[in-house]
Amino acid sequence: MKIVLDRPRCEGHGLCGEAAPSLMHLDDEGELVLDREEVTEADAAEAGAAVRVCPVAALRIA
Amino acid sequence: MTTAPISDVDLFADDVLLDPYPTYARLREFGPVVHLPTNGVYALTRYDTVRSALGDWETFSSAHGIGFNPMVNEALAGTSLASDPPAHTALRAALTENLSPRALRGLKAQIDAKADALVAELVESGSFEAIDGLARALPLEIVADLVGFTGKVRGHMLTWGKAANQVIGPLNQRTSDSFPIAGELYAWCAAVAKDDLAEGSIGRGIFEAEERGAIPPGSAGPIIHQYLAAGVENTVSAIGNIIALFAAHPDQLALVRKDLSLVPAAFNEVLRFWSPLNVWGRETTRDAEIEGVVIPAESRVAVLLGSGNRDPRHYADPDEFTVERNPVDHLALGYGVHGCAGQGLARLEAHAVIDSLARRVERFVVGPETRVPHNVTRSIDSLPVLEVVPA
Repeated sequence: MKIVLDRPRCEGHGLCGEAAPSLMHLDDEGELVLDREEVTEADAAEAGAAVRVCPVAALRIA
Repeated sequence: MTTAPISDVDLFADDVLLDPYPTYARLREFGPVVHLPTNGVYALTRYDTVRSALGDWETFSSAHGIGFNPMVNEALAGTSLASDPPAHTALRAALTENLSPRALRGLKAQIDAKADALVAELVESGSFEAIDGLARALPLEIVADLVGFTGKVRGHMLTWGKAANQVIGPLNQRTSDSFPIAGELYAWCAAVAKDDLAEGSIGRGIFEAEERGAIPPGSAGPIIHQYLAAGVENTVSAIGNIIALFAAHPDQLALVRKDLSLVPAAFNEVLRFWSPLNVWGRETTRDAEIEGVVIPAESRVAVLLGSGNRDPRHYADPDEFTVERNPVDHLALGYGVHGCAGQGLARLEAHAVIDSLARRVERFVVGPETRVPHNVTRSIDSLPVLEVVPA
């Protein structure tokens, strides 16, 4: 399972980082950093929450 | 496959606009999509339907406008609001370059300070008019300073912003009365030049971006238009709703007072419970099937954001206002490629207000609120705070 970020679409609202703090965060410049792109079954709930909360639909799970 | 159930509801009738929730509940029971011949639309009523349509711009297109009359859709042509990818992508990027949370990071301290000073002064005064005194005052000052409006334009912002939203409705009296006023804003934005906007403002930055070719020629004026049309009216509504809902639910204010980390959750719940924008338009590019019901191609669709937010299929006890619910997936700001571009700024303002109220106020005693019907925005027009019990 992989988290895929549509970088141009991301506006840095940061809600995903709050939903999935162990998988992604905003850096000091406000850019989203995926700390882990490959995620396991154990992270599925958190990854799903991050995808769901993105207000501009810039994240998906492949 | 079947055709949609038909209802004679008029989404833009005065009584529906003032309190749409009983009507929304009835429409949701009719089905996920209901044909409303009075308005010439197919209404999407349930949470899942609304969210899916907002995510599917290829079927539910904005390219023929998001309004409910041909004149407004023509006027908005060529903006990010009324376009789809790929044309939309560059327009949206130009709009958000100076408006994204990244761009606004430096403003948080300033907005917090402005909100807190305003709240402190009102609490000190003991009684005040909440809409003029806070809900209108804060966004007006912040948007005016941000975009760099000076002089007499500042005095027009509220009326212009309200009219620009009003004309999104169908061709009813409200829309007809508002077109001339919306036209003044439109004309002003078509003529405004860099030097009309304050030095160092984001508004001037947009013209500089146009000069250096970062955004297409001629796009600065429409962006200023969107800042004003979208950035004032809806935030005024949201902040007014914060005050009214906390006044009516002192137990919920107490929860935030006890735990300030609930501030963002409280704002999400305010937006879910009383969405500033209840209805927004789309047009189908092809036959769209929703749970066995077909919306024919080239139909006007009314996306009922406020109805989806009260859908018991998605939110337990949806008519209860509970800040701990934290409905992060509410529909009030839209979703997907057209999701509210100014939501970062709206959050900064609203979080600042909630935080300041929670620290300074134990509870409010308010008089009756008044409302004036508006085609797309639902907001409180006046709300007297008769007594403040300070923290």
